[in-house]
Amino acid sequence: MALSSILPYLTDGLFFVSLYFEVFMLIALLQKRSLRDRHEQEPILPAVLPSVAIVVPCFNEEHTVGPTIESLLALEYPADLLEVIVVDDGSTDATLAAAKRYEGERVRVLSKENGGKHSALNLALSQTDADLIGCLDADSVVAADALKRTVAAFTDENVAAVTPGIHIQKPQTLIQHLQEAEYRLAIFTRAAFADIGATYITPGPFSIFRTHIVREAGGWRHAHATEDLELGLRLQERGAIIRNEPYAAVYTKTPSTVRALVKQRVRWTYGFLRNAFDYRHMIGNWRYGNLGLLALPFGIISIGVVFYFVALITYDWAQSLANWMTYVSVTHTVFAAPSFDPFFIDTTVMSFIVYLSTALVLVLLFVGSRLSSRPERKFRALGTSLFLLFYGFLTPIWLGIAVARASFRTGVDWKGVRNR
Amino acid sequence: MPLPASDPHRRVRWGTYLIAFIITAALFGTAIGASAYFDARRADEVRSTTDSISVDILSLETQFDLLAQNSCKNIADNSVLSTELWPLGERLAYLESQGGDQAQITELKRYYSLLEIKDLLLEQQVADKCDIKPVVIMYFYSNAGDCADCTQQGYVLTSLADRYPDVRIYSFDYNLDLGALQTLISIDKIPDTLPALVINGKVYTGFKDMDAIHAILPGLAAMSSTTATSTRK
Repeated sequence: MALSSILPYLTDGLFFVSLYFEVFMLIALLQKRSLRDRHEQEPILPAVLPSVAIVVPCFNEEHTVGPTIESLLALEYPADLLEVIVVDDGSTDATLAAAKRYEGERVRVLSKENGGKHSALNLALSQTDADLIGCLDADSVVAADALKRTVAAFTDENVAAVTPGIHIQKPQTLIQHLQEAEYRLAIFTRAAFADIGATYITPGPFSIFRTHIVREAGGWRHAHATEDLELGLRLQERGAIIRNEPYAAVYTKTPSTVRALVKQRVRWTYGFLRNAFDYRHMIGNWRYGNLGLLALPFGIISIGVVFYFVALITYDWAQSLANWMTYVSVTHTVFAAPSFDPFFIDTTVMSFIVYLSTALVLVLLFVGSRLSSRPERKFRALGTSLFLLFYGFLTPIWLGIAVARASFRTGVDWKGVRNR
Repeated sequence: MPLPASDPHRRVRWGTYLIAFIITAALFGTAIGASAYFDARRADEVRSTTDSISVDILSLETQFDLLAQNSCKNIADNSVLSTELWPLGERLAYLESQGGDQAQITELKRYYSLLEIKDLLLEQQVADKCDIKPVVIMYFYSNAGDCADCTQQGYVLTSLADRYPDVRIYSFDYNLDLGALQTLISIDKIPDTLPALVINGKVYTGFKDMDAIHAILPGLAAMSSTTATSTRK
């Protein structure tokens, strides 16, 4: 059978798989959650509040560590039950001095030689007896009610970890506006994954854990510079329960240029691929439920799907360009007269599927907004448009680099260090 | 050794998998149904235009029979055939490129080609009677993948039609199963070396660019008034 006769079926099949995944996630979420405004409701806290340690690992973050600590000190939580542990991981700038300004009864500042984020977290883990331990990257700030909302999720004694709703802190550049929509979609995805027990990333910004469970699991590992992903997988491997509280809002700084975004995403994707390989026994394994059967396999398949569709679109555009060049060369005319006849509107099956997929993404963005705290609910036309138009073309850049690097195990650069 | 799944949320609920499958299949079904609906509407539109042209041809034939009582100017002024044939041809070509019901499209193409031949014959009769010398180009192409230059030839003829609306261009799918067309091919001895052009009665094979057509029709540049044309791939 010729390749050209297989391609339409392959295209349809991959569209079906992608659409199926989106539909599945939406159904799974709606089965567990109401989209009614829960943000106004006071969280129901446990009768005995747990003590909490929030670790702020820092490496050369003199300008952002201050606001991060201040936002933690402003958390609506009993002061005697909350300690902030700032760990300076061998910064070469004035991060340590900036952190020391806040040192006191509620803020401890530790300093060590540079060893990576996981080592900073493990140092804090070894020095706290708090019931819960969390991390807040030094480029992020939290909403005042974020901790009590997170702690409310620990009322269930079986819950081992809770992830937050992550938002972009004051998007300014176009690339940050694009990420704003992406993060909104991630709020939906994170909630849906938690609802099917398939969370495999416990993000650096404000994921909170039961301290003894992290200790028993062996603490944080380097894990190809994605310790938050590896710990999520390890906890899942041990049968731990990870929940999500989307209304616990965290605001993080994001890359402001395409170059910086690609670098960050190469690291994330590289980490996903290498950790997925390390935990390959979970992929397709029914013992891990929806995580093994759906979330992990689709995470890998989606990389191939992106490559396939981008190749298809690129081929289509190249063909159109070649046709146009032929037209120009044989007619000595640059453009044919445009037609506005509705007869010529594309109504092929594939175009309708693309329209439906786009509509579904808009629905998921809406759900992401409904799961956001009130100030973040506003529809952002700019970010959404940029996301729909350009995100698909940016993704293959970092996916391509990450796949190549993961294949050859080259490692990725992060904070000036090559991480393998 | 992994622990058994303890999170009740993690447990696979096949019902959710099945519902998601049904909804996704329904979405695909909707896309297929919507596409088929618009294809059918377009085919209806083409069919309706074809019927309208058919009536126009009958009208022109009648006018032609009455030529003795009518002036040549009267016929020329009332002839709407060519202006409708051109957009119809474009629409058919678009329908064909979109896939869809090929049997239905082939049927419409057969009808369209028949109308083109009728228009061509009437054109010749009117020209003889009224002593006018129209520039007529017949273009034979193939969509069977055996004509690498047909796309380029189509571009040239479309551009020619836009530039010189007085030139009458009739395009025919060489492989179309239509008796009248095959008779035309046989009478004009059109070889299967495509693309083939019949310009004012003389057969030319192979790709002919704009300069070559200008060389064949040196008086082309002087033409300007509006009449219709039709080109395909």
